[in-house]
Amino acid sequence: MSRRIAIVEDEPAIRANYADALGKQGYEVATYASRGDALAALRTRLPDLALIDIGLGDEIDGGFALVRELRSLSESLPIIFLSARDSDFDVVAGLRLGADDYLTKDVSLPHLSARIAALFRRSDLLAAPHAVEEVIERGPLKLDLKRLTAYWGGRRVDLTLTEFWMVHTLAKHPGHVKDRDSLMRDASIVVDDSTITSHVKRIRRKFAALDPAFDCIATVYGMGYRWSATES
Amino acid sequence: MSRFRIALGIRAQLLLVLMVFLTIPWLGYEYVRELESFLRDAQQKTLAGTAQAVATALHDRPRLFDLPDAARESLTAQRLLDGAPEGEAAPLLLRSAGPTVTPSAEIGQIIQGLSRTTARIWVIDRRLDVLARAGSLKRPPLPETDAPDSAIPRLWHWVERETLHPLYALILRQPTDDFVDELAAHVAMPAREVDGALSGILTIDRRPTGDGKAVVVSAAHPIWVGDQVKGAVIVEETTNAVLAERNRAFERLFNIVLAALLVGSVALTLYASRLTARIRRLRDQAEAAIDLQGRIRGALSPSAAGDEIGDLSRSFSSVVTRLSQYASYQQNMASRLSHELRTPVAVVRSSLDNLRAATLPDDARVYMERAQQGLTRLTHILTRMTEATRLEESLGDAQRERFDLAAVVTGCVDGYRAAYPRHEFQLRLPSGPLPVDGAPELVAQLLDKLIANAIEFGMPGTPVVVALERDDHSVSLRVENEGAPLPAGMHERLFDSMVSIRAEQKNDEPHLGLGLYIVRLIAEFHRGRVRAADRVQGDGVAVSLVLPLAA
Repeated sequence: MSRRIAIVEDEPAIRANYADALGKQGYEVATYASRGDALAALRTRLPDLALIDIGLGDEIDGGFALVRELRSLSESLPIIFLSARDSDFDVVAGLRLGADDYLTKDVSLPHLSARIAALFRRSDLLAAPHAVEEVIERGPLKLDLKRLTAYWGGRRVDLTLTEFWMVHTLAKHPGHVKDRDSLMRDASIVVDDSTITSHVKRIRRKFAALDPAFDCIATVYGMGYRWSATES
Repeated sequence: MSRFRIALGIRAQLLLVLMVFLTIPWLGYEYVRELESFLRDAQQKTLAGTAQAVATALHDRPRLFDLPDAARESLTAQRLLDGAPEGEAAPLLLRSAGPTVTPSAEIGQIIQGLSRTTARIWVIDRRLDVLARAGSLKRPPLPETDAPDSAIPRLWHWVERETLHPLYALILRQPTDDFVDELAAHVAMPAREVDGALSGILTIDRRPTGDGKAVVVSAAHPIWVGDQVKGAVIVEETTNAVLAERNRAFERLFNIVLAALLVGSVALTLYASRLTARIRRLRDQAEAAIDLQGRIRGALSPSAAGDEIGDLSRSFSSVVTRLSQYASYQQNMASRLSHELRTPVAVVRSSLDNLRAATLPDDARVYMERAQQGLTRLTHILTRMTEATRLEESLGDAQRERFDLAAVVTGCVDGYRAAYPRHEFQLRLPSGPLPVDGAPELVAQLLDKLIANAIEFGMPGTPVVVALERDDHSVSLRVENEGAPLPAGMHERLFDSMVSIRAEQKNDEPHLGLGLYIVRLIAEFHRGRVRAADRVQGDGVAVSLVLPLAA
């Protein structure tokens, strides 16, 4: 059974291009141009994954409203925001609403499909009772590479895909400085320096919420970041 | 436009306008002269009346004029010799003549009661012999008026005596009793009025005293005995009383006008001061609203006053508001533009990605690669364009922490050495940490921009100098490169949004003139100042950032 992806995007050319690309990869794609259309259709049948633009026609925050409604329908539906907006405010707002990832439209189609595939893998494995684990452990940090989930001291850290991949890049070689380019490459994103900075900040904050003493991600000014394994 | 312009403030201008009111004393002077002529007429009428009254008392009393010859002789002699003191209201004849001159004494008694202190009355007979005389032209000396007791009247008294009276004396002839009365002893004959009176007509005449210090008005009235003119009554008076009256009126008028002028000019000056203060405040506000570089620093608080200055202030305020809206529109234009461009770029990108997945002839792949490269550059530009706006947003909620600037700069320079292996970096540090409050990643971003510029504008093969220097309260971070100096007049504007001094594109990197603008934003976030200058040696450019040290 092919997976069903809902694309909610008001720009017809982009909508069609994404639909074509994802269709070629074997997904079943349903496209909607407005929040109303999407909500009406998705209420009757939830997709396996939703790709949602924030600005929908006249509704500048239509995507936010739609995600809020979808989340009330399903806690576990994977949702990706795909927007031209890249301000911190929008990213934070989108993720707070419960989206699994936030991508800007700079993302290439291969990167996009990699994310979609990864999200499906994660949701599949979370549903499966047991699987062969592929795990990186760095002290209290445990990264489940199959499920794409992170744990700190046994407690789950709720990272987005982008954040997970960045933590993975850093933690794979503790002590090595990872510059912004390699972080971007590994996280499959094309963003400017300050976006990397805010990603790192958000990651730190999520870990610090579990462990106020968290300081494993060190900034190496002028170069990048590194995972410091000095914790006990 | 005249070459010589006198800069007069509003106060000076208003005071000049006030000069117009100086014509009021002149009008007053004219009015007082009118009054004077009126008073003169009145004086003449009074004198005529007095003369008539005296004459009436003497009419038809022939006995009074029948003077013995002996008495007449002595009278004539006395008229020649007399040096009798002035001011005695008594018949002079009594002194030199014997008891036979009773008629004169009688006349003297009659006129005695009629004489006034400043009028002199003569009674003469047809032969111009003086039968009686009373009164004096000069007034008895008055006791000196004492200065008033309380302070203000005494001050006024002093002002009047020291400044006003000398001033008035310049304009007005002051009456004086210090004149030579050549007629003190005898009637100047033949005088016109005497002739007139002796021929039976009431005659009034005025003449100056011999020394010209006073004017004497005299009225002569015939004395009738039956149909014959037996003598004449002459009443003389100086015009001093009129003059004094005129002067007093003038002084009072002048005092009032002066006081009004004084009060008026003080009030006007105060009013003008208030006006100028408000205008100056408005000017200061307007100047403070826009800084040296023409950037809007802040809104101008509009005045609530309902007058034109308040109006001006409000219109200034709205102009500044509109200007700042325009400035922010300009500043955000890059970001807005980039946002608008993102969607079409995404269309192109996703189309290309789809195309890449399709089977294409080999020659088509070349073009696709080129399109992809162009797109990558376009994306890069778009990212740059939003950088400043994103930074402004993130500055709003950036968290400040205390960090060691020396460590951050050292780390960054290490990074640059790795990132730009073909360039030499010289780092000069003071010993010890340099604690600064702020966001280290922003300082690193700032340094990135400065280094990128230094490398781009630096002469190839020359080192980029990064120097930190500290003094008591601040630390300065300087980035220098050898190369061309800055274009004249651009030193300050460099740090504005979308200002670039690059003559042409040197490479693929997009230049939007936002780099140094970002530097400025970060510097301001750290309460620091950044400026660009040519190196002292004149062979390059130094950008220096001064940050306050954490206490």
